[in-house]
Formats: sequence, structure tokens, C-alpha cells
Amino acid sequence: MLSEKVKVSFILNGSPVEVEVPSHHTLLEVLRERLNLTGTKEGCGKGECGACTVLMNGEPVCSCMLMITQVEGAEILTIEGLGDLENPHPIQRAFMENGAIQCGFCTPGFIMTAYALLMKNPNPDRKQIKEALSGNICRCTGYMKIEEAVMNAAREVK
Amino acid sequence: MIQAVVKRVKSIPEAFEKASGHSGPLYYLAGGTDLVCKAKDRLLPPALWLDISGIEELTGIKDEGDSIHIGSLVTHTALSEHPLIKKYAPALSDAASQVGSPQIRNRGTIGGNSGNASPAGDCVTALYTLDTTIHLECPAGPRSLPLEKFFTGPGKTVCKEKEIITGFSFPKKEGARGCFLKLGQRKTLAISKVSLALSCTLEVGRLHDVKIALGAVAPTVIHAPRCEEMLAGKELNDSLIAESGTLIQTESCPIDDLRSTEGYRCKMTGVLMERALKKVALWK
Repeated sequence: MLSEKVKVSFILNGSPVEVEVPSHHTLLEVLRERLNLTGTKEGCGKGECGACTVLMNGEPVCSCMLMITQVEGAEILTIEGLGDLENPHPIQRAFMENGAIQCGFCTPGFIMTAYALLMKNPNPDRKQIKEALSGNICRCTGYMKIEEAVMNAAREVK
Repeated sequence: MIQAVVKRVKSIPEAFEKASGHSGPLYYLAGGTDLVCKAKDRLLPPALWLDISGIEELTGIKDEGDSIHIGSLVTHTALSEHPLIKKYAPALSDAASQVGSPQIRNRGTIGGNSGNASPAGDCVTALYTLDTTIHLECPAGPRSLPLEKFFTGPGKTVCKEKEIITGFSFPKKEGARGCFLKLGQRKTLAISKVSLALSCTLEVGRLHDVKIALGAVAPTVIHAPRCEEMLAGKELNDSLIAESGTLIQTESCPIDDLRSTEGYRCKMTGVLMERALKKVALWK
């Protein structure tokens, strides 16, 4: 019973994809283990840390709690769709320039959440940034530099 | 690993059709923010999960003339931002904006928050102050009942086998005021130690239609009937606020658990009651 597979089609980082995977897989498992997109991280696995944040139809969601069947027809954006080493997105650059990364494990989740915020609100104040990032946890950098990076990125994205 | 076979369904009849041919444990998957966690914690048996998240008729917030209807798949984010909810159910919009985290609010649904039947459910506490009717449907047909009759204990409801929560409705009241307050270990991602929702109207400085609900202080969300009665028709002033803060402490029966203690919870119902009335008094 537990090995039943499903076919799911969705838009991933701008391109249509179709996967055939066990129906009990989460989007996170499919991204990392099937599609080799390992930028999205698994932290707590229960929606409490935000490390696995991706955008679903423009909204930040925890991919560790999203069953693959729920993704049918959706637009998914992961950190790989934002920029790469040669062409980093301004938010990625701002995180590096502001030292908003240490171990880097939480960084993709923070950047995706920050991206969703700046798409909706290009001029966030510090309180709005804190609220938007409240579902992401960092255990080593501390939050000041992350907030600073988002403030600076907002200036550049405009 | 999650022990389930997940099947996506596009309509309620399709859900019942797939459910009827299945004899083992069955769960409906809406937002998944509770169900997936429980499965990962191995609190659920291997089961068939019917993914109802794509059923169009369970979505949307509608003005039905005398009442507002909320589909069971409406997310906490949608509830917190929708103009009809802000206008007619400010306590619910307030509660929805404080659930979990932004990521949880983008996926978690009002149907799931109710079906989960936690006595600390934030949206359920707010719904108690709105004379809410819950709408259900099972293969034998639909039924509706007052929300208070839906819950029977922590995690327990009157939901029948294979029954789906289809939505909620509450009567519209012009000039509705209200708020939702909770105390937790931290602001985000903390289950409430104690919560309070207040809905009312204020005419010429006097309180009317007062409904108060308390979360996390009894086996289900409860009303505070003595306080509701005491406040009805009274002029909202400092002495009334203080009196209500004392009275409400007699209305709950909390327990000691890992999140808090009985004594603290009782005392805090009073603090939250006073804060809620002050918020309503300073309404803009």
C-alpha cells in the first residue's frame, strides 16, 4: 500500500516539470532527492524552523510539510531559481556583504522569505521585516545582520 | 517516513467515492500543517490520505446577505487579510494573524484548525465569539450545528466517519468590535498557554452583544457566560474593566501541563480580559 506512486506536474523555477514519485513524499524530499536541488534545507522537518522555505504561488511555505500531491499545478520557486554563484540575486549578495551568514544552513530559507516580502512590499520597515522573518530561525548569525541585509537588499531591488 | 498513500481529489463526491472503497484509517489532508507533523511523530496509523486541498467549493469567503460564509480551506493568511472578516469578525482576523508563523498561516486552514480540536486553537477561540455554525458533509448528506456542539474534548469532535468540514458561517453585526489575545512562550510558533477572544458592539459608550471565549483553560474552548452577562448593556469604564478582570478568573478550569500552570492560567484570563476591553474602548 505504501509504495503507490503519483504523477505530479508543476512549474519549478519557471520551467514545467513532471515527476512520478511515491505519494507519501513531501515537496522537500522530491526537490532534494529526486530533482537534486539541495539548496533547500531540512531543519526540524515540522515547520518550526523555516530552513525548508520555498515559495508556492509567491507565498513562503514550509516544503517539509507540503505533500507532493498538493503541489499539482502550482508555481514553486526555490533558492536555485533566484540566482547562482555567477549571478547572485541582490538579496543573496546583500546577505554575503552584510555577513548575514555563518554556517549558512538557514540562509536559503531566510532569502526566500525575504524575497516574498520584497515582492509584496518593496519598502519594508524593520518591524515588517521582523514579522515577515518570524517563521525562520537562525542559531548562529543572530538576527541583526539578517535584518540589515534585507534593508540593504530592499534599497537595491528598488 | 510518512506512512500513507495520498490521493488527490477534486470534488466532495470524488472524495466520498474514494473513501467508500476504503476500510482502514482515513484522513483528509487540507493544509497539512498538523497532519504531516503528527504523521512524522508517528502518532498516526498507516492510512489513506485524501488530499482535499484542490476542492474549489471549499474555498472562499462570501457575503451571504445576513451572514458571512467561510470555506473550510480558507487559510489563516486569507482570514487575517480579508476585508469582510476585518469588518464583521475582527477577533477572528486578529486570531488568524497570530497563528503559528507566516509559513504556517499560508498553508494552515480554518477547517483544519477546527478538525484538530485543540483547546488552544486560536481561530476556534475567536469563532466561539461569533455565534458560528459549522457545516459538515458525509456520504449520507450535509448537516450544520452550532460550533460549540462540535467539540467534545481535546482532539475530539462529533465528526462522523468520512465526514468533511465544508465551512463556517456567522451572522453579520454592524459596528462589530473585537480582538484576540494570547500568551505563549514566544510570539511565533508557540502554542497558547492561555488565550481570550472578545466580540461586541459599543453603542453610546455601552457594551452590547458581548461574547467572550477562553482557549487552553479547559478540555475545549469555553465561553465566559458570567462575564458576558455582567458586561451586557454596561457603560465601558475603568471600574467595569477591573470588575470583569476579577470575575472571569472564576470561569475556567485549567490544568497544570508542560506549557503552564493552573494558577498562572487563571490569573492571566483576568489580565487578558482587561487588555481586551481596553483595546475595544480605544477602537479606531
